[in-house]
Amino acid sequence: MTGPADTPPPDETESPHPVTGLDDVVHQRVRLGILTIAHEARRVEFGYLRTQLELTAGNLSQHIGVLEAAGLVQVEKGYAGKRGRTWITLTAAGNAALAEEIARLKLLITRVETASGQ
Amino acid sequence: MTTDSVPASGDPRRLLAEARDLARRVRLAQRVTWLPLLVLALVTFGAIPVYRFGHRVVSDCHVVADGQVCKVEFQAVGFYWLVAMVVAYVVIAGGYLRVARTRGVGARVWPYVLTGVALVVLFSAVPPAWIFRDPTVYTNHPSAFSLFLTRLLNPAGLIGLALLVLAWLERHVALLLYTLGYLAAVLVPINFGWGAGWGGRWGDAPPLVISGGLLLLGSAGFALAQRLRRSR
Repeated sequence: MTGPADTPPPDETESPHPVTGLDDVVHQRVRLGILTIAHEARRVEFGYLRTQLELTAGNLSQHIGVLEAAGLVQVEKGYAGKRGRTWITLTAAGNAALAEEIARLKLLITRVETASGQ
Repeated sequence: MTTDSVPASGDPRRLLAEARDLARRVRLAQRVTWLPLLVLALVTFGAIPVYRFGHRVVSDCHVVADGQVCKVEFQAVGFYWLVAMVVAYVVIAGGYLRVARTRGVGARVWPYVLTGVALVVLFSAVPPAWIFRDPTVYTNHPSAFSLFLTRLLNPAGLIGLALLVLAWLERHVALLLYTLGYLAAVLVPINFGWGAGWGGRWGDAPPLVISGGLLLLGSAGFALAQRLRRSR
């Protein structure tokens, strides 16, 4: 598909395409949802995430595990009365990663709109 | 319920829209707007008997063209507002935390509570009489600006200022519009002349009834809106 005739315009050669900077850990619909909710809620309970993201407990646990391993969220287990509760909090790294992902998505949209307008 | 995740990548526009929607739903879950309005309405109504029956110290009387003007200190009133408002904000903070925890999210009420308490404590320590060093502000016809500032620094005005912070924290446009209306009613003031002839010890009741009534109506309105939204 590409060849000498398809050389990108000069402005695209100067800065890398926003897609190249997307973090696979964050750029995933469910994990992006977890980070967004945790950012907005300050602290979010496992059950709330499960309901809002419409996931099974096992699937949600896997995604939280990936985010925890990457140091983007902190998981805290406790009790509310006799019921066990798991709370998820965004770390500083998670906050930064979310901000970067949102910025890259916005940049990507701008690029696509600019390209389709040409 | 899905058992597996959706593909890793997606339309960025859709991803952003979903993120915004999730954030909006969290903010809705965190809102307990009726609570501060109800608590502050009760505090405002509670001030009426304190103004009516509280001890007043009258001093520095001057004779003016159409009578005399005296300096009146409401010691009990100042104490009431300070204590009642601090207690009110503690109750509001506790209520927000409790509701947020029940709904599975964290609360974002602290900046509102701290602003409210700081404003009350600050303007209890620095009453308008210190700001307006010129006593003619009280004895002659005060300027519109002086009246505006005096009303703004009254407890009813301070309640409105703190509510602006809450509207911003919750990104709550309806609360912002409500607060602007409330502030207009308190600062202009909008009373349709009601209570203008009430002199003596009941003279402070009409503005308190109006501001307390507005807060109570607002509380009922936001509670109803929340109930309707949850039942959908």
